[in-house]
Order: sequence, then C-alpha cells, then structure tokens
Amino acid sequence: MKILRIPAVREFLRILLAVVAALLLGFIITLLVSEDPIGAYKAFLTGPLSKFNRFGDWLEESITLIFVGLAVAVAFKSKQFSLGAEGQLLLGALVSGAIALFVPLPGILRIPVALLAAAAVGFIYGWIPGYLKAHLNANEIVSTLMLNTIALKLYDYFLIFHIKPPNAGYNASDFFPKAGVLPSFVPPFMGEIYTRFSQQTNVTIMLYIMIAAFIAAYYMMFRTPFGYELRMIGANIKFANYGGINTKRTIILVFAISGIFGGLAGAHLAMGIHTKLIMNISLGMGFEGIVVATLARNNPLFVPLAGLAYGYLRAGADVMERASDVSREMVLVIQAIIILLVTAEGLLPVIQQRVAARRSANGQNAAALEGGENG
Amino acid sequence: MAALVEMRNIVKIYPNGVVANNGVNFSVERGEIHALVGENGAGKTTLMKVLYGLEHPTSGEILIEGKPVHFHSPDDAIAAGIGMVHQNFMLVPSFTIAENIVLGKEPTRRGLLDKAEAIRITEELSRQYGLKVEADAVVETVNVGMRQRVEILKTLYRGAEILILDEPTAVLTPQETQDLFRAVRKLVAQGKTVIFITHKLREVKEISDRVTVMRNGKVMGTLPTAEATREGLARMMVGRDVFLEVNKPPVQRGRKVMEVQDVSYVSETGRSMLKGVSFNVYAGEILGVAGVEGNGQTELVEVLTGLRPAASGRVLIDGKDILNRTPREVRLAGVAHIPEDRLTNGLALTASINENVIVDRYYNKPYRKGLLIDYKQVNKLGEALIDEFDIRTPSGLLPVSSLSGGNMQKVIVAREFSFNPHILIAAQPTRGIDVGATEFIRDQLVRKRTAGTGVLLVSADLAEVMSLSDRIIVMYEGEITGVFPNAQEVSEEELGLYMLGLKRQTPEEMEAYL
Repeated sequence: MKILRIPAVREFLRILLAVVAALLLGFIITLLVSEDPIGAYKAFLTGPLSKFNRFGDWLEESITLIFVGLAVAVAFKSKQFSLGAEGQLLLGALVSGAIALFVPLPGILRIPVALLAAAAVGFIYGWIPGYLKAHLNANEIVSTLMLNTIALKLYDYFLIFHIKPPNAGYNASDFFPKAGVLPSFVPPFMGEIYTRFSQQTNVTIMLYIMIAAFIAAYYMMFRTPFGYELRMIGANIKFANYGGINTKRTIILVFAISGIFGGLAGAHLAMGIHTKLIMNISLGMGFEGIVVATLARNNPLFVPLAGLAYGYLRAGADVMERASDVSREMVLVIQAIIILLVTAEGLLPVIQQRVAARRSANGQNAAALEGGENG
Repeated sequence: MAALVEMRNIVKIYPNGVVANNGVNFSVERGEIHALVGENGAGKTTLMKVLYGLEHPTSGEILIEGKPVHFHSPDDAIAAGIGMVHQNFMLVPSFTIAENIVLGKEPTRRGLLDKAEAIRITEELSRQYGLKVEADAVVETVNVGMRQRVEILKTLYRGAEILILDEPTAVLTPQETQDLFRAVRKLVAQGKTVIFITHKLREVKEISDRVTVMRNGKVMGTLPTAEATREGLARMMVGRDVFLEVNKPPVQRGRKVMEVQDVSYVSETGRSMLKGVSFNVYAGEILGVAGVEGNGQTELVEVLTGLRPAASGRVLIDGKDILNRTPREVRLAGVAHIPEDRLTNGLALTASINENVIVDRYYNKPYRKGLLIDYKQVNKLGEALIDEFDIRTPSGLLPVSSLSGGNMQKVIVAREFSFNPHILIAAQPTRGIDVGATEFIRDQLVRKRTAGTGVLLVSADLAEVMSLSDRIIVMYEGEITGVFPNAQEVSEEELGLYMLGLKRQTPEEMEAYL
C-alpha cells in the first residue's frame, strides 16, 4: 500500500470516492423521480459518448469551461475573488464577432486579429477592477459584478442597434462569413475524419489554443517571477509587501491576465460554437469557471481535467433531460449535488488517517516535522 | 491520597502521523502551581488539550482524584472542574467583558440576557480573585492583559478548580506579567490548582512549585522547582548544554550606517505615535530599544522599513534617504528586517521554505534565468540555508507551516542574514520561540554585529535588550527619553523608571550619545 502515501494518488482517490458517492446519491434521487430510473441514469452517465455529435458537444463546452476556469484560477490563486469572467467573455464575444463579421480581411488574418482583439478587450476589462482594487481599495466582488452588468448591456446594445441586420425579426447577427469562423481542429487533408468532425461538431482550432493557454498559464504561475509574486500575494499579501513585491502592480496584472482567458472564452463561443452573435450567448458561463477552478484547486495543470469532467456532467445532464422523463430541474439538482460533494474538501479524510496511522506504526515518527503542536 | 490529576501513558498520534505525545505520565497535586516546560513541538499543548477534552488520546488514561474519566469534549472537562486559557484568546471582540464571561451560561430574566446580573457576577468574581477588569467595557477596546484576565475569570465562572494557562506571558509586558503572577498566587491561596505552560525558565523559577519538562513528546522528569536550576532545566529541554548568557567580544564601533533624523508618524486614527525620533546606528554595534510595548517601537520599525508612511523626517543609509520608499527600495539600500509578527509579515505559511527565502531576491540572478525563475538555484539556496541556519526540516520543499515556531523564525533569520545587509532591524527576534532557537538566533545576531553590521534590536524582553545591546535607548510615548551609551552599566530598575516615564533625560544630555 505504499502507493497510498503519494499525495497525488490520495487526492485522486479522494475525488474518485467523492464522485462515486455523489453518483449514488444522484441515482437515489433519480429513483424517486423517474419511471425508468436505470434508463434515465444511463442516459446521464453515458449520454455524451453515445453519439458522435454529443461527443462534440461535450468537447466544445469543455473548451469554454477550461478558458473560464483558467481565468478564475489565475485570479483566485492570488486570492483576488474576481467574478469578472462573465463580462470579459461577453465583450470578447462581441469584439471578436464584430471583427469576424465586418473586417474585410482574409481568414488567415481575420481570425488571428479577432482572437487577439478578444484577448485584448479581456485584458483591458480585467485591468479595470484590478486598478480599482489596488488603488482605490474597491471590493473586487462588487466591482466585477457591476462590470458584468455593464458588459452585458453593452453587448445587447451593440447587437440590437448596430450589429443585427436592420430589418431582421430576431435579435441576432447574420452568420459569420467563412473567413470569420474558426476552422476545425482536424486539418482538411485528413479526409474522412475531417468531414466527420467538421460536419458534426464545432471543435475548432480553439482546442490547440486552449492547450497552449493552460500550459502557458501553468508556466506563468509556477515558473515566472510574476507567478511567484502572484502566489505570494495569494499566500500572504503582507508578506509579499514586506518582502518588497510591488503588490499593487501585481494585483492589477493578475486581474488583467485573468481577463485574457475570459475574452478568449468569448471568442470561442462566438466564432467557434455559435458562428453568430446571439442574445444570451453566455447564460452565466463565466461563473461556471468558479466550479472548474475550485475542482482544479486553482492549478492550471488540472483545469483541463476539471473542465472536461464538469463539461461531461453538463453534457450528460442535457442528454438525460432530452432522453428521459426526468425534468430539467431535477437534472440540475443532481448535477449540483455531485459538484457539492466533489468540492467538499473535508470529505473522506478516512484514507489520509489510515495512511498516517500506518506511517507512525512503522516508527517513522514525524517528530522531525515538529508539526503537531501549536505551542 | 491520590493526585488531583493523573495522566498515565498518554499517547497521541495526529491524523497526519505526527506523534505529539509518546507515553506521557503527568500528575498534579491539589493546590500547586505546576509548570510544564519544553521546546515548541515538545507536546505540552497537546497534552493539555487531551486533559481539556479538545483532543482524544490515541491511548492512555486520565484520573481525576483517583477516578478514571473520559472526556469527549471540553464540556466534560469543564464539568470535572478543568478550565483552559488558550494562547490565542477566544473572546467575542464586540461583546462587553461581562457578556463574554457569562457567555454559554448566561443569567436570564424573562428569557433575555440579564445584563445587570452579568455585570454583578463579573464584578463579584473580579473582587474575589483579585483580577481587575472593567465589566462593561467592550473587549476589543481593552488591552491584552485585561483580555487575559477575562479569559481566566470566564473559566472560574464555569467552576474551574484546575486552571491550565497556555503560555500566558507570551503576550504580556513585564509589568503585566507581574500582575498575572500575583493573581495566580491569589488563586492558589484560594484552593485552586494551576498548570502553567511556558518555555521561559525565569518564570518557572519565579512562579511554580513543581516543574515537569517535556521533550519530543516524552516527559524528561518532574522535580520541585526549588531543586531545579535554569541551566539544568534548559539541558533537560534541549538535550544538551545551553548557554543562557550571551558571550560577545568588545564592541568595535565603525562608521555611521543609519541616521534617523526627526522622524514622526501619525496613525490612521490621528494619534501621534512617533514624535520627532532621532538616533544613529553604527557599524559593528547592537543598539537596543527598550520600552513597554505600545510606545511606538512597532511604528518605528515599520516606518524605517518602508511598511508605513512617515509624516516627516529623514532616514539616511550611507547618506541616501530611504524614508517613505517602498520596502524593496529600503532592502536594496541594505536594510534587513526581522519583523515583530513573523506570521503576519515575515512568512507565507502555505508556501515552501525555499520560496520563503527568495522573496527579496527572486527577480535577480542567479535565481532568474531569462523569463523564468531557476528553481534549481532556488532549491540550492534553500538547502544551503537550511544547513547553515540549522532549520529542522526534511526538505526545503515543505510548507513553512510544517515547522515549529523556532524553526519558522530561523527561516526569516536565514533570509535576512544571508543578503549581507548594512543594517539589520530585528524586532522581537526571539519572542515565543524555544530555548535552543533563541540561543541560536542571539548568537547569530552577535556574530553579524561583530562582523560589522549595524543592528537595531527592539525587544519587549528587557533581559534580552540588556544582555545583547552595546548601547540602549528607551522609548516612551513615541519619544526617546533616555540613552545609555554603555549597556553594561545600567541596571534593570533604572531602565524601568525610564520605560514607565518616571524619569527622562533632557535632549542636551542625550545629544552626545544618540
């Protein structure tokens, strides 16, 4: 049982057990509300893998979740409770969508320009609450929520009055021209695979950008001087200040860089998934980043895993709702309970205790650590 | 007759595998003051938590007056007449003292709290035990000494016969300590029993009847205090000979490294905390700052290190003004700082030891390589400092929170000493840490000074200021009221008069020696 001593293994087991417990609880609820509980639960558990397009839906949604998860993880790691991903996402979608629609560049230029613009607008829109926090001591929870409202209304305003076709009977833009739509992540020369993916899913090159983003975020957080500053501020801001770190500058940058990921999530929604600008394009997606970041313990390396897992739950819930008699409301209840159990850190400390007992029995006394007493 | 409290073969293993108590036998007689001493991490607090029902022993038994008891929670212990005053007070800051004392067992009238009765109870208890408190004052407005008396009264109100005081003097000034000792003696005179946790050997000699020494989760012995010597106790605690007296070569005063000129500071609430403070620090000397806590020493240190903005004045380091600069600029000018509150300012507990020692240098070579931090170099530095400063840990990659208090302080000392400062500002460098680490840190301070660094030492421990310093200044209400150019020639009583504001020198008298 030596393997149980590795912290990562224990952590993994802990999450696994939490998921199993949560799924059991979810099944009990399904038993109560469904005539065909096994069928319904099967739809929930295997739905995202049952059809190719559902598999695609899962991946697409996960990519958005991973971007907003990174946005939140970067901010939370330095204990800046920014809830601004939603606003950054909306403005990212708006700006990239406008460029995709109206800037007459060939695709090879139009797409990078749109992505850069989305990142830039996220950076700027994150910079604002960062500045307010650092220099005016404005509570970031309040300021980011207010900025979300402003972003939402700006999005609606520009969409309704400037972007949608003047005589259209609906509040949405035209579909983007081909030069403004993100290409499939499978290159065209792959023949049949390309056709399948590009026709049945919207998994785009954003997949690669996401992979680059989480690796970049990880290196930034754990390998660069800026990441060190960010983490020390999160661990103890007074210590950071005492040690000579320019805490104000770092806090502003943390917010702004977090905004980049929010903006890119918006670009993904606009140019990858919907390929047009619509009302309610986000529906609170920015806030789901909190769940993803929490599952990943604010570590960018774990964000993709957390995003895929949470995306799977969400996709499974969608399938369950469509394929069974369980109502959407109950599906959401089950989903929430699962998240609740998985994020409850104190759950199942049993394993840790058992390992500890074994270790002390081996006489490997940890007195060297002298950690047992506060005195 | 059976002992009042008897703990037999207590073993406590924490879930994380730390063996805090390893077969401890401990007994207390009725009506005694029993000191429990040991280094941080020796298992004192854990043993008392077991007695108070906060922790469940892994094995072993507890007998009260010869009868076995099982405490499932502090409520059971309280019912058996045991009360504990924790190191960190557990009071409701926004409640009055009377409300805090009756909390959990409130006198009521028509279902509501009877405030008049609460105040009467408080005053009655206060008179009976000679513990002075203001019953209707709000806790957050009173000083630490009174908060501690509130804690003691609270346990007495709940009928405690056995009082456990966990390092009660760690937060007190010398005067408050004396008040506490008087109160403890009075409690014992009225038939109470006191268990006194400490690691200050002076206090053991002064207050206790018997003393039990712990080391590494085991009891090393129990003996009557009259038969114990400080040196003997220190040896039992640490396991080797300890030099309690500081040995230092004569002072070789060099150039002026720090000139403090007319520095004033006004707090956020508008109180004038520093009123035109001026003095110099020279290379190769330790300048001690004596004073009762709260007379501006904290503010002085934080102003000098860039953590608080000064209202006026100049601070020259080798001719360069560093007042109201950022902490980084102050550090770059060659000022090291061992902060008063190591947990608040000095360390990031959840970060690794290695990451704690690079906070002042991570952005420079060799720790920075291009865009990245070179963690190989960082870890190399960590290992070297752990070795040089004798930080007891299996690895520099562990979080600082896994260390004992003394070793945490060594992490700070390692960082601050290793960048070769011109001047070292040390605030309460040995507060709340064990004998072994205290000896080590004092020795390091003297070495730095002898090697030519200027040291400004601020300490509430008068004995420490007197034994380490070459020159002493006294602060009283934000001013320097006395300077003693030869620290060996001044008595504790004399300093005490200046510290309490009963005596002061004129600016003319002081001028030549500042």
